[in-house]
Amino acid sequence: MLQYRMNSVIGILTGAVWQGTGFAFIWVVMHTFPSLAGWGLAEIAFLYGLRLTAHGVAMIPLMALHNIEFLVREGEFDRYLLRPLNPLVQVLGNRLGLAQVGDLLVGVALLVVAGQSTGIEWGPWPLIVCVVAIVSGALIEGAFFLALCSLSLRLLDTYALRSFVDEAFSTFGSYPLKIFGSVVEWLLTYVLPVAFVAYVPASVVLGKLDGTWALAGPVLGVILMALGYQVWRGQLKHYQSVGS
Amino acid sequence: MTRIGLRLALAYRSNIVFMMVTLVAQVFLLRMIWTAVYGARTEAAGITLPQLLAYLTLANLQVFAMNTQVSRIISHRIRTGTVFFDLARPVGFMRQMTAFQAGNTLGGLLLLLPVVPVVLLVGSITAPAHLPGYVVTLVLGYAITVELALLISLIGFWTLETVWVAVLFRLVSQFFAGTMVPLAFFPGFLGALADVLPFKYMGYVPAGVYIGHITELVPTVLGELAWAAGLALLLQLIWSRAHRRVVIQGG
Repeated sequence: MLQYRMNSVIGILTGAVWQGTGFAFIWVVMHTFPSLAGWGLAEIAFLYGLRLTAHGVAMIPLMALHNIEFLVREGEFDRYLLRPLNPLVQVLGNRLGLAQVGDLLVGVALLVVAGQSTGIEWGPWPLIVCVVAIVSGALIEGAFFLALCSLSLRLLDTYALRSFVDEAFSTFGSYPLKIFGSVVEWLLTYVLPVAFVAYVPASVVLGKLDGTWALAGPVLGVILMALGYQVWRGQLKHYQSVGS
Repeated sequence: MTRIGLRLALAYRSNIVFMMVTLVAQVFLLRMIWTAVYGARTEAAGITLPQLLAYLTLANLQVFAMNTQVSRIISHRIRTGTVFFDLARPVGFMRQMTAFQAGNTLGGLLLLLPVVPVVLLVGSITAPAHLPGYVVTLVLGYAITVELALLISLIGFWTLETVWVAVLFRLVSQFFAGTMVPLAFFPGFLGALADVLPFKYMGYVPAGVYIGHITELVPTVLGELAWAAGLALLLQLIWSRAHRRVVIQGG
């Protein structure tokens, strides 16, 4: 990977610019309008940063799975099954998500800057909520990604569907969900639990929501990831090589 | 070449379907965000909310339809060396690639057509304030977009790796085209920068004319013509140097 050092740098940069322009939009809008559904610029920045950091943490290790269709179709995947190491670990070891390193950098930068200007009193409690939220957000997003990639082990191409789910997490997850109307808010809370990645924990840290809600994310994250891994195992059991 | 471009657009249907779902989601997102920030206000920066929603819907449709594939194709052909065959043809390379892009856009439009009503419904539209002005600025804007894409792809004759450059270019150009925020809202330095760059002709200028936000048509069209001519000249100049530098990979 490091042979292509220049490419790596540009890859990380692209990820950062991608998210940078996404946030620049919010910044420009809130330059004219100080409040978005009761959230100020710093608060939105905090929400955005929390979502982005969780996304980076989830996707840096998982990004190699995005190639799963290719690995299966070319018969590469058969090689992993012959080796005495969990095939999932082998696939993930292939490469890291470089553009997602850029996401992570922007996310952490936003969190640090926004965290200081929102007026949160930074004791151990909000800090713990944040760290737990990042990990559980990563688990939630990662679980969906892993499950959808697993379906591709049986030659079902889920690339477009995965991209769509990723899109839902990234475009809608970075805003206070109530602006989208009650139907969409409900869908993004109970059907595709985007809300628990950043909206709910950010609301807790910012004092907009009761503290007990902070527990929902980690519980959901662990359960979903366990389910996601079960889907992977189930699909792996039925894996049939493409043959030659 | 035009026919190849058209066929290529139709061949990657599933990819385009996903992109259209993204387009609809994007327009929905923008509508909800802008409606929320406007709240009880009726207008801001001289734009009313219905005007703004129509603007956003149009600008996003435009930029979607103007998305160019030509950089990717040229980069691929340089990397595999097949660019040699293009250069051997009696028709100039730039002309071939322009024809390719025109066909590709046409194919994209055919696929986009059934989605347009959905996008208009999810977004919103008003009657045009100045239809001829919209058409003229849009066509010129398209010409500028293709010229810029060709310029970017010529970098490939020097560095051989343009995929990331193309992605970066697309991100930056979409932002400064004003697909999410009309340029009228860009503060200070950012506004001045966006005004100097040619990307506004992809989105902001035609859509702004459509909703009646931009009313000074003559200077706008003259500015567009100047950009189109200037870029054409620059393209000629760089191309005459680039094709002397053709390095065929492998061998």
